[in-house]
Amino acid sequence: MPKLNSFKVKIETGDQGTPGPVQFSINRHNVPFENVTGGTDASAVFEGGFEVNSFAHSLTLVGPEKGQWHIKKISVNFDCEGTQPYSVAYGEVALDETSQVNLWQDPPQPVFDV
Amino acid sequence: MSLINKVKNIFADKDPLEESNTQVADSSPPASAESSEKPAENFPDQPQERMTINLPVMKQSSSAQQSDEILIKAQPSVGNDQCVFMVNRTLLEGYSWYFANFESAAESPLAEALFSLEDVETVLVLESTLTITRKDKTIVDWKPLAFEVGAAVRKVLEEGSPLIAEKIIADLPAEDVIRKGIQENIDAEVNPGVAGHGGHIVLKSVKGNTVTIQMGGGCQGCSAADLTLKQGIHGSFRKAVPMVGAILDETDHSAGVNPYF
Repeated sequence: MPKLNSFKVKIETGDQGTPGPVQFSINRHNVPFENVTGGTDASAVFEGGFEVNSFAHSLTLVGPEKGQWHIKKISVNFDCEGTQPYSVAYGEVALDETSQVNLWQDPPQPVFDV
Repeated sequence: MSLINKVKNIFADKDPLEESNTQVADSSPPASAESSEKPAENFPDQPQERMTINLPVMKQSSSAQQSDEILIKAQPSVGNDQCVFMVNRTLLEGYSWYFANFESAAESPLAEALFSLEDVETVLVLESTLTITRKDKTIVDWKPLAFEVGAAVRKVLEEGSPLIAEKIIADLPAEDVIRKGIQENIDAEVNPGVAGHGGHIVLKSVKGNTVTIQMGGGCQGCSAADLTLKQGIHGSFRKAVPMVGAILDETDHSAGVNPYF
């Protein structure tokens, strides 16, 4: 597991939004996003990030404290130490006060053409 | 400003971005088995445990699959013990096959071509991928062998002959037979073996002759899980059910009770 310098998320909300606030959980600690733009109303797009500079044993997007949040798509850009920046995308998910969704993926193994 | 100070500010009902004078040495302990045992003392506002949903990563769409040109990509594993080759052609549809040695490659042109390369030890064919292990485990650079593999696969594909012996597919037992054999092996050998480490194995599915398992208990997130899977479970399954092809592990090793311990 490499050291995570920073990450950015782009969350596309589906037909059921949430008033927020949007939080992520790193190593079981809830933290608000920084440099936030957009929103989490229905069909809105939220963008935010965080400078972690540590190891992410777990990294999740926390569900709303009340009600349901229907997410259409989550894109995450990771900047880790010693690897090229990489992106992952996840599909639809519904979150509530009992749930969170994993954001972390290890850097992809290098691939070459043969 | 460190992440720890930001987190401390949050729990102290302060602006998370406000600099704290508290030394790092006084800060909350990192997530560990010890700290997670007493969350209420260290973090009184710690939220309730939530269920973590693990979504599959969305694959990027690629035009390579439709290309007339044969395109092959190589991806060595983390430990460099094997290399996966992804081909923009279906090599074996609906099934998988494990070639343990040169003798097993008889009448399968693809496997014969690969075993003719000096360092190829085993070959696993699954849909449009090949997973190859090498004899010389001391070599970590896969590039020289990978280019030889790429050339061999391309040559066989261009010849257009059947890739895998028809007899192999014709002799495959039904999924139910494979499922029964694997489940019996899990119950009689594998689970009693891993139970000593607090682990257990669950058979999730059998598709064609491809088996998917999930590791639980002490196996989930264990640093030796990969070794257990490849050197213990694979061998046991193949001995019990010789016609089994790929053995896939769908365990989320980042979750569980003791991930990474």
